[in-house]
Amino acid sequence: MRKFVFRRLLQLIPLLIGVSLITFFVMHLAPGDPTALIADPSIDPVDLARIRANWGLDQPLIVQYFYWLGNVLRGDLGTSYLSGQPVLFEILERLPATLLLMIPSFIITLLITIPLGVLSAVRKNSFFDNIVTVLSFIGMATPSFWLGMMLMLLFAVDLGWLPAVGMTDPLLSGGWFVHMMDVIRHMILPLTTMTILSLAGITRYQRAAMLEVLDQDFIRVARAKGLPERVVVFKHALRNALIPIVTIMGLSLPALFGGAFIIETIFAWPGMGRLGVIAIFQRNYPLIMGIMLFSAILIMLGNLLADIGYALVDPRIRYGKK
Amino acid sequence: MPKRLIAILALLVFLIGCSAGPREHKEKAINLPDPSQADLEGRLVLGLGGGVSVLNPILSTDTTSSAVEGTIFSGMTKVNEKLEIVPDLAKSWEVSPDGKTWTFALRRDVTWHDGHPFTAEDVVFTFNSILNPKINSVRRSDYIIDGEPIKFKALDKYTVQAVLPKPFAPFLVRSGMSIIPKHILSDKDINRAQFNRKPIGTGPFKFSKWVSGDHIKVVRNDDYYLGKPMLAEIIFKVIPDENARLVALEAGEIDEAGIPPKDYKRMKALDGINVFEFDALTYAYLGFNLANPKFADKRVRQALAYAINKDQLVKIIFKGLASPAYAPSAPVSWAYSDEVAKYPYDPDKARGLLKEAGVDKLEFTMLVNQGNKEREKAAIILQQQLKKVGVKAKIRVMEWSALLKIVNDPTPPKDFEAVVLGWSLGLDPDSFSIWHSSQYPRGFNFIDYDNPEVDRLLVLGRTTMDKNERKKIYAKIYKLVAFDQPYIFLWYPKAVVGVSERVGGLSKPGPAGLFLNIHKVFVTP
Repeated sequence: MRKFVFRRLLQLIPLLIGVSLITFFVMHLAPGDPTALIADPSIDPVDLARIRANWGLDQPLIVQYFYWLGNVLRGDLGTSYLSGQPVLFEILERLPATLLLMIPSFIITLLITIPLGVLSAVRKNSFFDNIVTVLSFIGMATPSFWLGMMLMLLFAVDLGWLPAVGMTDPLLSGGWFVHMMDVIRHMILPLTTMTILSLAGITRYQRAAMLEVLDQDFIRVARAKGLPERVVVFKHALRNALIPIVTIMGLSLPALFGGAFIIETIFAWPGMGRLGVIAIFQRNYPLIMGIMLFSAILIMLGNLLADIGYALVDPRIRYGKK
Repeated sequence: MPKRLIAILALLVFLIGCSAGPREHKEKAINLPDPSQADLEGRLVLGLGGGVSVLNPILSTDTTSSAVEGTIFSGMTKVNEKLEIVPDLAKSWEVSPDGKTWTFALRRDVTWHDGHPFTAEDVVFTFNSILNPKINSVRRSDYIIDGEPIKFKALDKYTVQAVLPKPFAPFLVRSGMSIIPKHILSDKDINRAQFNRKPIGTGPFKFSKWVSGDHIKVVRNDDYYLGKPMLAEIIFKVIPDENARLVALEAGEIDEAGIPPKDYKRMKALDGINVFEFDALTYAYLGFNLANPKFADKRVRQALAYAINKDQLVKIIFKGLASPAYAPSAPVSWAYSDEVAKYPYDPDKARGLLKEAGVDKLEFTMLVNQGNKEREKAAIILQQQLKKVGVKAKIRVMEWSALLKIVNDPTPPKDFEAVVLGWSLGLDPDSFSIWHSSQYPRGFNFIDYDNPEVDRLLVLGRTTMDKNERKKIYAKIYKLVAFDQPYIFLWYPKAVVGVSERVGGLSKPGPAGLFLNIHKVFVTP
């Protein structure tokens, strides 16, 4: 097992270089550059050309890439163009707010979807299963901005129970408990919106995986042995049906870091999604590359964790033994 | 069974929809609080549409950053409600008879927020930093006239002299640049300084806190030279979504938000919110690439102008919150003149002129930037109006930087035929960078407009110091440009802003904004 993990970690290095190379060149294929956004008749294009040169954007792309790579190897992710702040600083500044929203959403989603999917599969075509199916499809088809806005109008404007936007109330004074409750109150609406919208996906996966397993011979054998249904479902079937879910969980890991742009925009949540998408609009290359590098590492780690997770849930899978 | 379920769900969705549905729209009068009710511990919360990138006035390029900077920093001069330039850090100034030497006498009672005294050295340092090519300031060429920089000198501790290579009227407006502190920045790399995140200025409010992407807080500067500000704090809350900003205003979480035309009536009827509408210093236009043979003939452009019903356009899109435009200026500008050819809507005349120009069939593509709903709608209406005179206009909606990349392409021919855009105008009417033939292809005259008489007048306009003389010169420029129709001028928009009724001390609604005298703004408890 240890050998397996080590080998996989070593594979990260060429992968990261490949990914960064592709991102770097694809990013530069998009028309425009960070100074192109400034269309103000009072600003002379000569100034923009000078600033481009100060940023090194007048160099050939390949030179720019190796310059970037050299800095990264020395632990310097570069400086964000517009703010002049280190990229790492800007990313780390947004990370807590992102995780604060994404991790609870992820956990709540799993806590709801796995039992829901299992029950749907066990009671296939029952009234319960139909309700879950219909709700899943409604959840899938609902645009996040619409649902977010409706919840906001209902709970913040009409009922006045919850704050509409932001992560904190800057006017609030009090101790850490008051502030924690304030953040929780601010989290409710974005969290609810996000959770409702992501319920559908995993529920459907879990239901399908469970159905497939329940149809297999060993389940029939287990039932034939006279095991109680609960043991059959949760001990024999669920453990096997979790494998595809582990894959999806592993793949969701980078999304936890990447944030949710639309939800963050509507609820003015200061997360990574907004930072990243706006960096792309602004062609803030160092910041885009920094975020990309973080996501790439997380995607790879997510896959690795999923692989390790397989071994934990599936007794048939063991690594490092021949 | 699922059928009944779907029905119930549909009903639920409908009910949620209804709770947020249309309400009664009744016009309501402006209701401003009296200064005697001011809460001296009051805090004002303003909404910002985007994140702030940097709090250093010589580096920032976005309006959100400058909105915050306006409360922290001050310049030698500033603009008043009537858009006149008035003293701020400078008590007074003099211009030599040849218009080249400007001498500013500075206030002696100003200190930086860290207690350090403000002097002429700070002013000279600020302008020299802007002129330093290594510093990423987009304002550098504002202080370079025909390739020669303006020379700034401290004559004594409180007197600054600026020597211009030649007379240059727009310099007065540009003297209002916010001043940054020499004692903090002189040995720093200004592009990357920590200062840009924790600024120190001379303005009415001191920087206090910056939570990235969430909010920025500034607190009262008790030693402000124009008197103690009435607000204890201002919080700038970042809310990127326009609709969410309105909801936040309705829910009382912010005190001010811009209002798009679609929400105007609803917001105007709401209790607790004052809605102000005022002219903005901008205009929108349909610009033609004159380097393209399709638009080289003036008669074609004039025909298209006759084919466009601007009144209808403005009525449909803005519901009265804009007026048709005819000149490259704005009615609130002191130099505005509407004594220009207006090409009133006349489709027959349009067809006649096209025939006269020998054009049987005209087809072209208009670029429009994605996300600007007004311009996107305008493009569709223009398309339909032009269709009535047999002109086929296609619309191409493009992402902003991709569109700018095309129009700003420094190597002609530029790859566009027509573009729907707008200009925000400066306080000075100088429009050299938009109309002078030297500003093509590397400049904002990206449509290749070339009229020698306009060129001459543009230079005359910026080198003449007398305001009345300048007014006449600009009237002539507008007349010539409007006759040529290199752009079809479309509309002058109005800015619409909703402000909570608890906010008072606002300045007269105008392009300079409602919070011009921010130290006099107050809130009631």
